[in-house]
Amino acid sequence: MREEVKQIQQMLEEQIYIADAAIATALYLSTVLGKPLLIEGPAGVGKTEIAKALASAMQTRLIRLQCYEGLDATTALYEWNYPKQLLHLKLEESSSASETEKEAMIFSEAFLLKRPLLQAITEHERAPVLLIDEIDRSDEEFEAFLLEVLSDYQVTIPEIGSIKATHRPYVVLTSNRSRDLSDALRRRCLYHWIDYPSLEKELEIVRAKVPAINADLAKRVTEVMQATRTMSLSKIPGVAETLDWANALVALKAPELNEEIVAETLGCFLKDESDVAAFKAELPRICTDV
Amino acid sequence: MSDLEVEKLIVFGRELRAHGLSVTPAEVVTATTALQIIDTTDREEVFLSLRSILTTSIDDFAIFEDVFKRFWNSSHSLSTSTAVRIQTQAPRQTSKGLGFFLENWSNSFAAGAQPVKVPGASDTKSATEKDFSEFTNEELEEVSRLARRMVRRLARRPSRRWRPVKRGHRVNLRRSLRLSLKTGGELIELAYKERRPKRTKLVVICDVSGSMDIYSRLLLQFIYGLQNSFAKVESFVFATSLARITGDLKNKTYKRALDRLSSNVHGWSGGTRIGASLAMFNEQWLRRIDKRTVIIILSDGWDTGEPEKLAASLSLLKRRAGRIIWLNPLLGSADYAPVTRGMQAALPFVNVFAPAHDLASLRALEPHLVL
Repeated sequence: MREEVKQIQQMLEEQIYIADAAIATALYLSTVLGKPLLIEGPAGVGKTEIAKALASAMQTRLIRLQCYEGLDATTALYEWNYPKQLLHLKLEESSSASETEKEAMIFSEAFLLKRPLLQAITEHERAPVLLIDEIDRSDEEFEAFLLEVLSDYQVTIPEIGSIKATHRPYVVLTSNRSRDLSDALRRRCLYHWIDYPSLEKELEIVRAKVPAINADLAKRVTEVMQATRTMSLSKIPGVAETLDWANALVALKAPELNEEIVAETLGCFLKDESDVAAFKAELPRICTDV
Repeated sequence: MSDLEVEKLIVFGRELRAHGLSVTPAEVVTATTALQIIDTTDREEVFLSLRSILTTSIDDFAIFEDVFKRFWNSSHSLSTSTAVRIQTQAPRQTSKGLGFFLENWSNSFAAGAQPVKVPGASDTKSATEKDFSEFTNEELEEVSRLARRMVRRLARRPSRRWRPVKRGHRVNLRRSLRLSLKTGGELIELAYKERRPKRTKLVVICDVSGSMDIYSRLLLQFIYGLQNSFAKVESFVFATSLARITGDLKNKTYKRALDRLSSNVHGWSGGTRIGASLAMFNEQWLRRIDKRTVIIILSDGWDTGEPEKLAASLSLLKRRAGRIIWLNPLLGSADYAPVTRGMQAALPFVNVFAPAHDLASLRALEPHLVL
């Protein structure tokens, strides 16, 4: 394995992110080749965490753009600061400045509200990590717009002109696959898939993220979670839920897992009424089996 | 990097393409760059790197792994197998099929409010629960009305995007400020914006083969209702092959629409070839389908063609469409399970699988039509 890939793995581990060779390689290629990294996988497996860990490992800023349906350029890129513009016009009322001068004034950078994409491009100290979270929730118009920004890291604001990136941001996109992304966007990105972790990896994550937990309990929690994921549930709990649960058990000072404690705390990892019912039916089996 | 390795990568890319992955030259170029910056003696690292570059979805992983394994172990003897896809045209049989049904429908329609089947059934069951197979012509009208109402509500649904308008309730500040410059910064003239209406398009593909006989007449009425509303609707019927009936249904009375259908649609067989019909649809209409399109397929899933063909057509369609809804009238009966080969092949690609045997089930469809 190449030294740099190992380094990335170590750096991430220092940020308490348990990275395997696949994700370390993908991040290495993404940073060196300057290509965005598209990470897909089920909810709650730590897709967003990768970007956070990467940012703190590289000691740079994390700029996050949360996608949603109807997200458009004014929320993603920039917006004019209207109250400030109005106030300025009021103050300038008695001045002799011409209309064009006034216009140039209020449509200048001082009146620009930078949204995540513009922030990421104009960050001057060092390249930030730009996290475009849940891109599958935005609509296709936005995807096309994003593609344009990601292809040359340059945006055009009609009133000001083109703004080119001072540093190319490290771009991480995440998707839950709630809809298919366009081929064009996929092609532009490197691709990485994260699945639910294996028992060993999940145990490692629990022990790293919840250091207060005792070894036995951590193992039992992980085993129950792994067993839960094999059931046919409408919302399969992710690693985030495992950690919530482990934290809850530590806070409750639960010495061990028994049926009673599991039943009391299962709200930490089951978020659906019918799932809770299905789980409770299996509870004795799960508690004795593992 | 040696030319040999570049060449190897190009062949590798070609091999992936032959197995159905869409690898572009640009990606191969990226891959060659990547090989220069990774440890090429580490097989795992080469594998992970190339996979992250040359695949675009987890669906590609299995194929990639397979090809990679064969390729990197025996990198010299590469089979030059290119997937040759032989398109088999479904043999067209001619029989009285749909034309026959249509003539009968028209006749029974003209004959007035006479029960289609099981006289007196309406006395015991309420209209919403009654199976379509027992409907009277008056109740058919209700189906049409329901369809129109549903689509009208759809067309009014606002999206989350804005558009500038002359008069509205929300002020468009950006424009207003620009306008105010004319009056020295005084906001006199206001510009407005409003939510863009959601433009959902509907494509309805209805099975009119023999097995669907008792339902198709109702469903066609439903489609007629959909077609004659404000929304963008395209409708098709199929048995062994596909026919577009949008024009036949539009802006006419139901009676005249049926007349036109029976005179315009010929050469149908009583059998069903869903796969071939959908493949035909894809061939001619796929480029018109986008993520704003909801596709409704009305069929009982009895397919005499190849289930693989159905699966392939549906998977293609699913990638382009916003949602695929499969309405199966048989699903309304308690002892029905979708075990036919066709239905089994179709299910993985269907977003919503629902019954369509009574008014209540059609009404329940509405939330699914909103993207």
